Amino acid sequence: MVLYVPTFSLENRSQVALEGASGSGKTTFLHLLAGVLPADSGQINMAGHFLHLLGEEARDQLRAKEIGYVFQSFNLLSGFSCLENLTLAMNLGGQTDPKHALSLLHAVGLYDRRNHRPHQLSIGQQQRVAIARALVNKPKLVLADEPTGNLDPANTDRSLSLLRSLCEEWESSLILVSHDTRVICQFEQNIRWDELNQIKRGEGILQIQEGSA
Amino acid sequence: MMDHGVSLKLAWRAIKQNLLTSWITVFTVALAGGLFLGAWKTNQSVRLAFAQSASGFDAVLGARGSQLQLVLNALFHLENSPGNLDWSQYEMIRDHPGVSEAYPFALGDNYLGHRIVGTIPEIFIEHQWKEGRNYQVLPPGRIFSENAKEALVGAQVAKRLGLKLGDRFHPYHGLEYSPDRKHEDIYLVVGILQATGTPSDQVIWIPLMGVQRMEGHDPEEAHSISGVLLNLKGSSGLALDVKYNKQGDQATLAWPVPAILSSFFNRFSWLERSIAALALLMALVGGLIILASLRSTMHERRREFAVLRCMGARRSVVTGSILWQSILLSFFGALGSLVVYLLLSLTVSSIIHLQIGVGVDLPLFDSAALYTFLGILLLGLLSAWLPVRQLYNSSLQEALLSSG
Repeated sequence: MVLYVPTFSLENRSQVALEGASGSGKTTFLHLLAGVLPADSGQINMAGHFLHLLGEEARDQLRAKEIGYVFQSFNLLSGFSCLENLTLAMNLGGQTDPKHALSLLHAVGLYDRRNHRPHQLSIGQQQRVAIARALVNKPKLVLADEPTGNLDPANTDRSLSLLRSLCEEWESSLILVSHDTRVICQFEQNIRWDELNQIKRGEGILQIQEGSA
Repeated sequence: MMDHGVSLKLAWRAIKQNLLTSWITVFTVALAGGLFLGAWKTNQSVRLAFAQSASGFDAVLGARGSQLQLVLNALFHLENSPGNLDWSQYEMIRDHPGVSEAYPFALGDNYLGHRIVGTIPEIFIEHQWKEGRNYQVLPPGRIFSENAKEALVGAQVAKRLGLKLGDRFHPYHGLEYSPDRKHEDIYLVVGILQATGTPSDQVIWIPLMGVQRMEGHDPEEAHSISGVLLNLKGSSGLALDVKYNKQGDQATLAWPVPAILSSFFNRFSWLERSIAALALLMALVGGLIILASLRSTMHERRREFAVLRCMGARRSVVTGSILWQSILLSFFGALGSLVVYLLLSLTVSSIIHLQIGVGVDLPLFDSAALYTFLGILLLGLLSAWLPVRQLYNSSLQEALLSSG
């Protein structure tokens, strides 16, 4: 996938929806922001960290501590309970505080299901655990890749409002990728991907506002 | 440190999630390791046990024939006697200056399949079957009288046949039990020998003359014996070897007993080599099973690894989980191999003890067990190398995109 983003910046604690068709490179863009994929050229500044200058291990570490990721297919670890999915994410970020994980499960309304495995939960419940997991390390940036793509309208509304309110509460910035206009229109700030991505030769600069997320 | 904790946690969950595959892996590795250790140790221990169970004799004099047959027949009560010796041969070797102990023995009868050995009472008084250990008769029993129809019963025979003091029995002709070959003579049990852990526990001892003059035996053979059990002084074995084996043609001197036993075991070296090859093959299978098990769970866990990496797990965390999975599987396999080996050695040693009376001591925790244990762990690590390398080199983005 080839993409060229001349410039992109995000205010601290802001919430942005990125709208675009499937297969157009939005996920690759999120992977670049998360440091999963190194950019071929250009700069990425994430809360003062220049991702393009960091090695893989440092990017991993940054991702574990400062970035939360919500997938379309939830991607909970099937061998672990809801609580363990959260504590494992905390361990990767260098933290161990089960009480914090429990309070977050309480916030998403799944405290009673803390010892259930993912397959014992409904689709909506699984996505709520995935949201809690993404936010368990109080990240500066949350990346949500079509998070409501597998949900019915009722669960879509519930998950979306939960994600947005938790990001607000934890002061995390949010970039949400979707092709669902019903979801997009709920955001004050939304960007069309095909306007952001200008595939042509040149030096791309990806800028997430300095000193913020 | 926390990374190792996460890797270990992931590995343990993977094992629990694939419980059947994990069990099969551990079982196969345990079986391979146990057989390998068994093939290695049993051979050594059986050789040692046989060498230590020669009942404290240096040599055996018998009829002209195979030295090995003489040793097996006289000391281990196996095989048939190669023939008879004249009484004068016994007297001659008894009086030889190089001989410190000489006990004649005669074979030819059994009681319900247990051999009856005729000998002289002195063997139970003077001879040490092991350094510092004489035969002991359990009180209130006693040694048989030279001219009476009395029997002294080996510990294993007494236990197996339930023979006790005061019991009477009819001997049967021949070394194998056949109900229609019963002798008319009746023998009285006057003593039970304390267990020695040697083949002596497997026989019934009666006076030499008892066998020689048993009803139905050839009267012309009344002055012959099956052989003489000997202890020699210093280096007289060499001179006697020349006298009997190289120059003489009347008798064979089986000497030295350990070398003859060694030649016996060398006959089975092809079997030992086959077992060793089988064990190595099993070890290879064990390694491949671990590899297959890791590969199969890795395939299932591809998505999990990608998600973990996306959550910030380093490559070393996910590859570490594969390594830990392999270490855990091989660790349990190695523990299992000690259990398999224990069961195997108990079975082998009890069979040998029951059949031949030789007590085989198979130590469980020795250097061989330790090396096998470490070898299995190493095998596990080697088996993990390929999947770990593959995982380490895999692209995170590709895995994420393919996992959806």
